Amino acid sequence: MNKILVIDDEAIVRTSSKRTLVPEGYDVKLAESGKSGIEILEKESFDLILLDLKMPDMDGIEVLKVIMERWPGTKVIIVTGYSTVDTAVQALRLGAFNHIEKPFTPDSLLAAVREVFEQSQGTGNAD
Amino acid sequence: MKNIFSNPEKSIAAKLIIATGILIVVVSFIFWYATLKKQEKDIMSIATSYGESFVKFTKRSINHSLLTHNPDETQQVLENLGTPEGVQKVTIYNHEGKVIYSSNAANIGTAVDTASVACRSCHTDPAKSAALLPAAVMWSVQKEKGATSLKIVSQISNEPACYSASCHVHSSEQSIVGFVEADLSLALLDEALFKQGLALTAYVAVFVLAVSLFLGIINYKIVTHPVHELSVGMEHAASGDLDYSVDIKSVDEIGVLASTFNHMIKDLKAAREQRERWTQTLEEEVAKKTEEIKKTQAGLIQTEKLASLGRMAAGVAHEINNPLTGVVTFAHLMKKRFPPDSIDSEDLDVIIEQAERCAKIIKNLLTFARATPSEKGQIDINNVLSRTIHLVRNQEKFHNIKFNIDLAEKSFITLGEGSQFQQICLNMFLNAADAMNLRGTISVATREVEEDGKPFVEIEYTDTGSGIKEEDLPKLFEPFFTTKPVDKGTGLGLSVSHGIVKHLGGSIRVDSTVGKGTSFFVRLPLLLRKA
Repeated sequence: MNKILVIDDEAIVRTSSKRTLVPEGYDVKLAESGKSGIEILEKESFDLILLDLKMPDMDGIEVLKVIMERWPGTKVIIVTGYSTVDTAVQALRLGAFNHIEKPFTPDSLLAAVREVFEQSQGTGNAD
Repeated sequence: MKNIFSNPEKSIAAKLIIATGILIVVVSFIFWYATLKKQEKDIMSIATSYGESFVKFTKRSINHSLLTHNPDETQQVLENLGTPEGVQKVTIYNHEGKVIYSSNAANIGTAVDTASVACRSCHTDPAKSAALLPAAVMWSVQKEKGATSLKIVSQISNEPACYSASCHVHSSEQSIVGFVEADLSLALLDEALFKQGLALTAYVAVFVLAVSLFLGIINYKIVTHPVHELSVGMEHAASGDLDYSVDIKSVDEIGVLASTFNHMIKDLKAAREQRERWTQTLEEEVAKKTEEIKKTQAGLIQTEKLASLGRMAAGVAHEINNPLTGVVTFAHLMKKRFPPDSIDSEDLDVIIEQAERCAKIIKNLLTFARATPSEKGQIDINNVLSRTIHLVRNQEKFHNIKFNIDLAEKSFITLGEGSQFQQICLNMFLNAADAMNLRGTISVATREVEEDGKPFVEIEYTDTGSGIKEEDLPKLFEPFFTTKPVDKGTGLGLSVSHGIVKHLGGSIRVDSTVGKGTSFFVRLPLLLRKA
């Protein structure tokens, strides 16, 4: 079962993601801040991380940098508002796999997630 | 000339005239006095010389009668000699002063005044006859009221003929036998002298007057008048009248001064004119710059206002995206529980649709707030305009609206996103339709213009609607500003259009007359095609 970690300070976004992904057979864990997300990552590994860019205390770009440094190769999808497209581009350069815009629909979220795993299967990189 | 003597210490001419006048008067007076004295002296000398001749003549006339001791004849001769005009009296007296003969017989036997020249011309004191004066003066002038008289005395020496005469009146020891004294009137001479003095005085007075007048006129011509002219000129210049020039044509110092003055005034005038021109240019420049600064400032304020509004709107919009995600997700999740054709499913579709509409509004708002880094392509302005017009014409809203299209034949290519430009056109048409209450004419025209040397395409949208009130004009491009009913307009159309046009390097300008209509001029930079 593919494990997904959702890091977002907005409860409704976390819930929406979980409710969309769990029925599709993903193992979903939630973190309400960048800090707690990294703490979880230290204990267990995930196949995909959905990372919000705009968060208090530690923003998405900082979290992304930590992830890419400590767990290189981890797939990260950036979840961003329209106004932070520039930052999204920056995130992709830093090594994020893809980005989706808020507000997203269940279909668009699933499509983006599936794309990650289809590619991983293709490269045989799943564990 | 009139007023120079009223205050002489203030007038050079008056001082000069007074000084030369005094000099002339003093010199003339000395001349007059000296001349008079000289004349008097000369006349007196002539008078005494004539007087002496008269006395000599008298002596000779009585010589014979004296020698012959004929007193009656002597008396007769003297009486005869006393008759001519001017001869007052002829007297003969002895050394003791006793009158022996006189033309005036009444005087015979009287004594001569010892204080008169008769005694005093030889003796310091007649009582001490030994003391004689070193040089005897034999005449004296007596000035009396009305007439001056000359008294001449001559001694009759004791000649051998006298003491040897048969009468034996005089002994040979006597050196002086008597005196002849003539009293002559100088009235005529006085009169002549007086007349001459009068004439001389008149001459001198006339001379003084003439010289003074001449000097005065010369002074006036050479000094007073030019100086006055100069001072008037300076007063004019001081009061700011630089058109005045001093009319002095002489070549002397004052003429040079006047010409220098005129030159100076001319230079001053030129300098003043230059200064005025500079001032005016400066004022114009300042006014122009002030206007520019005002415009720039107004533009900056407007830009800053829009920017801060944009930031606020972006912040709000961004936050709304999160709850919208929830709404969309849960609506979808719920929808899955109902059969696809059920009423509930359709209701949930409405929720999803409306939530997506919210998302779209937010996206527009964010377009305004932050320029979308869209894929820029080449847009054919006329082409997009024609397509958009075609699109809206078929809409019910535009059924009663006439389109007046005047697109330039040339194709205008600009860099941007076609859909965004179409959005601007749509906004313009929708606003125009609303402003005209869905009835009227929309004119669309394109033309090429130049701005700062660069080519721009200008798209004009003119409606025949209600127009925009002046107080609303500054708020026109603010987000959420709308004059439409609450449920009809979001107030984002123009602000979004403004954001897009600014992003593309263009501008939007508005001309509006309330009751007549509004014109929007959208300018976009033309793509410079390389030859």
